[in-house]
Amino acid sequence: MDFAFLIDTMQKLLAGVPLTLELTFVSVAIGAALAVLLAVLRASFLPCEWLVRAYVFVLRGTPLLLQIFLIYYGIGQFAEVRNSFLWPFLRQPYWCAILALSLNTAAYGAEIIRGGLLAVPQGAAEAARVSGMSGFLLYRRIILPLAIRQALPAYGNELVIMVKSTSLASIVTLMEVSGISYAIISETYRALEVFLCAGSIYLVINFLLTRAIAQAEAWLNPHLRPATS
Amino acid sequence: MTSAITVRDLRKSFGQNEVLKGVSVDAREGEVISIIGASGSGKSTLLRCIPMLEVPDAGEVAIGGETIRMRSRRGHPEPADIHQVNRIRSSLGFVFQSFNLWAHMTVLQNVIEAPVHVQKRPRGECIAEAEAILEKVGMAEKRDAYPAHLSGGQQQRAAIARALAMRPRALLFDEPTSALDPELVGEVLRVIRGLAEEGRTMLIVTHEMAFAADVSTRTIFLHAGRIEEEGPPAQVFINPRTDRCRAFVTRHLNR
Repeated sequence: MDFAFLIDTMQKLLAGVPLTLELTFVSVAIGAALAVLLAVLRASFLPCEWLVRAYVFVLRGTPLLLQIFLIYYGIGQFAEVRNSFLWPFLRQPYWCAILALSLNTAAYGAEIIRGGLLAVPQGAAEAARVSGMSGFLLYRRIILPLAIRQALPAYGNELVIMVKSTSLASIVTLMEVSGISYAIISETYRALEVFLCAGSIYLVINFLLTRAIAQAEAWLNPHLRPATS
Repeated sequence: MTSAITVRDLRKSFGQNEVLKGVSVDAREGEVISIIGASGSGKSTLLRCIPMLEVPDAGEVAIGGETIRMRSRRGHPEPADIHQVNRIRSSLGFVFQSFNLWAHMTVLQNVIEAPVHVQKRPRGECIAEAEAILEKVGMAEKRDAYPAHLSGGQQQRAAIARALAMRPRALLFDEPTSALDPELVGEVLRVIRGLAEEGRTMLIVTHEMAFAADVSTRTIFLHAGRIEEEGPPAQVFINPRTDRCRAFVTRHLNR
């Protein structure tokens, strides 16, 4: 074993961890907000329902890799986009990757939250309505808190997948953990060691992430713990 | 005396099944009306139509003299103004058969939720009032417990506290003890009886005949979507005028 090489590789790869985490958290933050909006829209009006279904169908049914390509190479073909205020963002691979990752996770997230919404007991919503709640207040205070608690285990799964999905951002020149590992391999041809190092980094990130999700679940669900009083 | 709740010629069908066939009830301030009848007679639907949990196909509901405005949309009636409905709903207290407490909140949070967020009353005032109400229903020491950690009787008493915290002009009970183990029925009935003795206006749908006979000022017997018999409990339970009511009451009182 060439420990010197492993340590050197690890150091280079660790430099990509901040970008990997940034891509994950920024796109998850945008995607989660969008997912809640899509799920609520789908549950509300009929025309919206079809729009959301179409969105989810397309974004879930095509590879994320293609979506990143389409946004990075495709969107600049339109003069309207190049002339719009968005171009300073969309010309950068970073924001293209964020956009693709956000739109993609929003589609999965919308389905997960829809499942959560369906699991909200009818009686809880009815008790809220009969107390005079409706619309935004009803969702904010009763329905979403109950739905998100239901959806959290499945959403945790999606977060873990998102960490791994950021590796696709390397295809549009972003030097996150995977991007750096490809660069090292093309210089050294030592694929095994480099990929093992990269894989172990993803494992550690996801280990910490799943712990955090479990903590969040426990914190949000005091009513599922055994009674203390 | 003024009318707290007025229901005029209410009709409601579920598909082909006409559940209410023109029911009128006028509950004056301070009246305790028990509504009895076989399952499927329409008593729960009648109660649920009052705060528009079910939207009647025809007829009128008025709370404290204010009629809930209706409109027709694609041939189906619906309340015309959700703000009016919300205001009227928050002036009533509704107690469900299956409690329907909010699982993610403690008992106290359940009780202050609507006063704080719907009625926009100061939080401190709501908490103080909630504590007094919880004391009254015997749930003071459970104020920080979650519904999942309570017995059915405790959950229902918490749900009654939640309804009382709205400072309701009338209380509606939809079979409040039907989901309870027999040994827990008593504690809930005691609380409801206490409220009746305070002179609160109440409509109680129930299968507890002895309780209904004892606590109410008027009893309504529903059969197949119509009021078959109505009067003071002494008449309805002891000396019914209709055969159907007599048969129903005898069957249930002798259980």
